[in-house]
Amino acid sequence: MEKKFFQTSIKDSLFTGLIALALFGPIVGLRTVAKNEVLEVHPKWLIVLIIVIVCAVGRFLTNLYVYNRDQKTGIQSSIGKSISNFLDTKGYQIALTAIIFSVIFPFLPFTDRYLMDIAIMMLTYIMLGWGLNIVIGLAGLLDLGYVAFYAVGAYSYALFAIHFGWSFWICLPIAGIFAAMFGVLLGFPVLRLRGDYLAIVTLAFGEMIRILLLNWYQLTKGPDGLTGIPRPSFFGLPFKSFPDEGEQTFHTFFGVEYDPMQRIIFLYYLILVLALITNLFTIKIRRLPIGRAWEALREDEIACKSLGVNPRNTKLTAFAIGAMFGGFAGSFFATRQAFISPESFTFIESAIIVAIVVLGGMGSQTGVVLATVFLIGLIEVFRDFESYRMIAFGGAMVLIMIFRPRGILATRKPTITLEKSSSK
Amino acid sequence: MSQKLLDVENLTMKFGGLVAIDNLSFSADKDKITSIIGPNGAGKTTVFNCLTGFYKATAGSMFLNKENERLNLRKFSDFKVAQKAGVARTFQNIRLFPQMSVLENLMVAQHNKLMDASGFTILGLFNSPSFVKKEREAVEISKYWLDIIGLTHRADDDAGDLPYGDQRKLEIVRAMCINPHLLCLDEPAAGLNAKESAELNKLLLFIKNEKKTGILLIEHDMSVVMEISDHVVVLNYGKKIFQGSAKETKNSPEVIEAYLGTEE
Repeated sequence: MEKKFFQTSIKDSLFTGLIALALFGPIVGLRTVAKNEVLEVHPKWLIVLIIVIVCAVGRFLTNLYVYNRDQKTGIQSSIGKSISNFLDTKGYQIALTAIIFSVIFPFLPFTDRYLMDIAIMMLTYIMLGWGLNIVIGLAGLLDLGYVAFYAVGAYSYALFAIHFGWSFWICLPIAGIFAAMFGVLLGFPVLRLRGDYLAIVTLAFGEMIRILLLNWYQLTKGPDGLTGIPRPSFFGLPFKSFPDEGEQTFHTFFGVEYDPMQRIIFLYYLILVLALITNLFTIKIRRLPIGRAWEALREDEIACKSLGVNPRNTKLTAFAIGAMFGGFAGSFFATRQAFISPESFTFIESAIIVAIVVLGGMGSQTGVVLATVFLIGLIEVFRDFESYRMIAFGGAMVLIMIFRPRGILATRKPTITLEKSSSK
Repeated sequence: MSQKLLDVENLTMKFGGLVAIDNLSFSADKDKITSIIGPNGAGKTTVFNCLTGFYKATAGSMFLNKENERLNLRKFSDFKVAQKAGVARTFQNIRLFPQMSVLENLMVAQHNKLMDASGFTILGLFNSPSFVKKEREAVEISKYWLDIIGLTHRADDDAGDLPYGDQRKLEIVRAMCINPHLLCLDEPAAGLNAKESAELNKLLLFIKNEKKTGILLIEHDMSVVMEISDHVVVLNYGKKIFQGSAKETKNSPEVIEAYLGTEE
């Protein structure tokens, strides 16, 4: 038994070496160099040999220690299981710790400008993930064009703020309403679609909005983007180092030294509050009839119809509310950057947000946070490696899918329980 | 005008050139169980799909007589048949919401009522007392039905984790939670063992006698049909070939011929 296993492992690793040779031989081994206008081949067989040996030996070792059934106490079972168990049972504690941590985060000793910027970016993604979680996680409508609503929110905020000079707190709800309207606009034609078909149409919708923004030059300034978007003020008090004559600013009003970090910290808390509102709203609405209907629609649309649930209204509200939060996040993005252009709203953004929702565990609020920290954090850590960071991003996805195939936090809690409601 | 609960008149359903239901007329009484039987492919489920709005009938009419109104079910499209006319149905292959809890399944059935109470979600967001009261009532109704089918102890488990027989019963009481006038059951006894079928009979008789709900039943299990039906309609190739009481049906030569063929 032991000997046979050893033999198959050897065979398997030799085969792996062969595949590695076929792959890396031409790609790495045959390097072409342009010399005197002639293309020459400079073979690098040593490197290929090293790669092939590493692959074969690596495969042999993993066969021996990871996939070996006799040694079930390997890495996957012990560490993996305890992490899985921890995530499944301690969801609430994780959430509470995360909230406390994020509130005190700006005042921690090691927090600097760079970390704050990353934190703000992560929170924006978390908010987008929570918004999209309504559409994908609860209503089960795979929306690949979510970034369109983010763009609509950002542009409507920017246009209203630039042309009418309205403040952030007025433009924010307007941007949300605009995005929600676009959500309904997308919702109508796709009412009858599900699954793959829906995904394709929403993907096209996302691209349509981006191309519209790119070409409607009179309104959006096309590829030049919109500049000079007003920065948010602290309830009417701007953040400025040199106030105009007679103008109250944040630091003069509170009598503190001017520090550029003040604005960053304010932005941080702003997005934190917006994200938490999204979260609370989702948690609450999940327990209302509409939220339950969303989940029922995800489970079985025909059964919903047989019970008199209106699938049209139910889907449209999911699209509209999801889009509204995307719009809020978009206006925050616009006010933080002070500059927006269609480049910020490409398909890759949609894909990242969908990845966050799916990897976090569909419908799980805490899962979205964990997935964001993991994925966006990893992209940031690998920033110095430039294009390799996408490999890290892909690797992270693969790891999550191996260890948590249904998402980081996959357990679903019922929205209403008999014990609780009868003991009230 | 007859005072039957359901009057189906000259119902015809064609799929292209295929005539699935051919000029079918029958009626169903309030607080009676009417069974529709027939060999496979006779068009039984198609009748249900027309009644409950999943198909648009090609011709004919289906009238539902409530206390003081007469509704033509043909005018309602899919979900409105359940919402406005109060016709509930179950499915041949169980269609629960498997990843939602048993209680949630029953709460979704009371969606329209709760949706109104939640003021289209706005009042619900602020926990308005009227909504909280309505929601508690809905939980009580769910609990009432769970007590009847003996699943109260599993109320908070996923519906998909229930044993098959319990899923069947849950689907029936879920349909009852919309408070229907007419309950259409598509092969509720399929896959049940003898004990479970007996329990099903008890449940259906309870619904008929205590809730005064008309039941339309498609069934292959003759022990269920013969024991509880008040009236039997036999279909073959989309046509009605016989109707009468359970006993008459059993002895009818037409029915025996349809099921077993003729002796040559």
